Amino acid sequence: MDNHPFREGIKAALPIVLGYLPVGMAFGVLALKAGLSPFEVGLMSLLVYAGASQFIAVDMLSKGIVWFPIVLTTLLINLRHLLMSSTFSLYLKNTRLAVLGLISAQLTDESFALATSNTSKISNRPKYLLGLQMTSHIAWIAGSVGGALFGGLINHEGFGLPFALTALFICLLVLQVKSPIHLWVMGALGVFSIFLKGILPGNWYIFLSALVALGIGMVMNPKARNSKTQDCD
Amino acid sequence: MLWLILGMAIVTFLPRFLPMAFLTRWVMPERVKRGLDYIPIGILSSIVFPILFTSGGGKVEIQAQYLFAAIPVFVFAWKVRSLWGSVVLGMAIYWGLGFVL
Repeated sequence: MDNHPFREGIKAALPIVLGYLPVGMAFGVLALKAGLSPFEVGLMSLLVYAGASQFIAVDMLSKGIVWFPIVLTTLLINLRHLLMSSTFSLYLKNTRLAVLGLISAQLTDESFALATSNTSKISNRPKYLLGLQMTSHIAWIAGSVGGALFGGLINHEGFGLPFALTALFICLLVLQVKSPIHLWVMGALGVFSIFLKGILPGNWYIFLSALVALGIGMVMNPKARNSKTQDCD
Repeated sequence: MLWLILGMAIVTFLPRFLPMAFLTRWVMPERVKRGLDYIPIGILSSIVFPILFTSGGGKVEIQAQYLFAAIPVFVFAWKVRSLWGSVVLGMAIYWGLGFVL
């Protein structure tokens, strides 16, 4: 671990950057078609910064749906962040509220998954999280504005780019398997979420799976928690 | 449009902020901490498996290009534990599969 947690966080974010640039571009292209200006695309990526809800918002806009249903849908989609934010609170006990505000504004599935893959790096190191998340956020803004401006010129679906974030998530999932119990939880929730996705609207299957995981963790034998964290780079 | 973006920003920020703001100021029982420790694997399992086994609309159906690229990434990630390696390997296989499937 080096002595510059912020710089270390920036470096750690690079795999996310690789994934966010093409997905951001795809968003920029769609948003432009739905009638947003490149400035509005950038503003949305800056202030909202939530991939799934931004895609759904521009889809609804292009169908002529106006703001209230979009805001409500955004809220429902992002309720899963309640659980991620709760998990982060384990590691940020001594952090000032203003810094927590900045960290939470930039919390995403990807930054959460990467940050929790090695909790010793985030434990009372808000600067590491800030470096990690700011870099990811900049990539998202750059990708989406780039997509809105030059979307037609750059091929953001070649070279296996659509698979980048999936591969990242797979590796982060594997790194979370710290004990045989984790392996069982992964298998059970994997099957559970596949079937749940067909039944529930939006991405409620993610929220519900995380809630079940919380429940499993709470009834689990206390010894199971003291599994060692694994490093990754 | 500005109001829409601001509305979306507020409802996105609150669920991200409120638990962090309150729970960091609360002495948490050990049991709750243990539970929160399992949330990452819950989130990741439910993100990864539906990508491989369901269509965008939620129908259970194998996504061949994703699944065949995912299997070697699982093995590689387990053995080598490298994020970059997993991402590059996954992209290369997915790209190659695009020509075959």
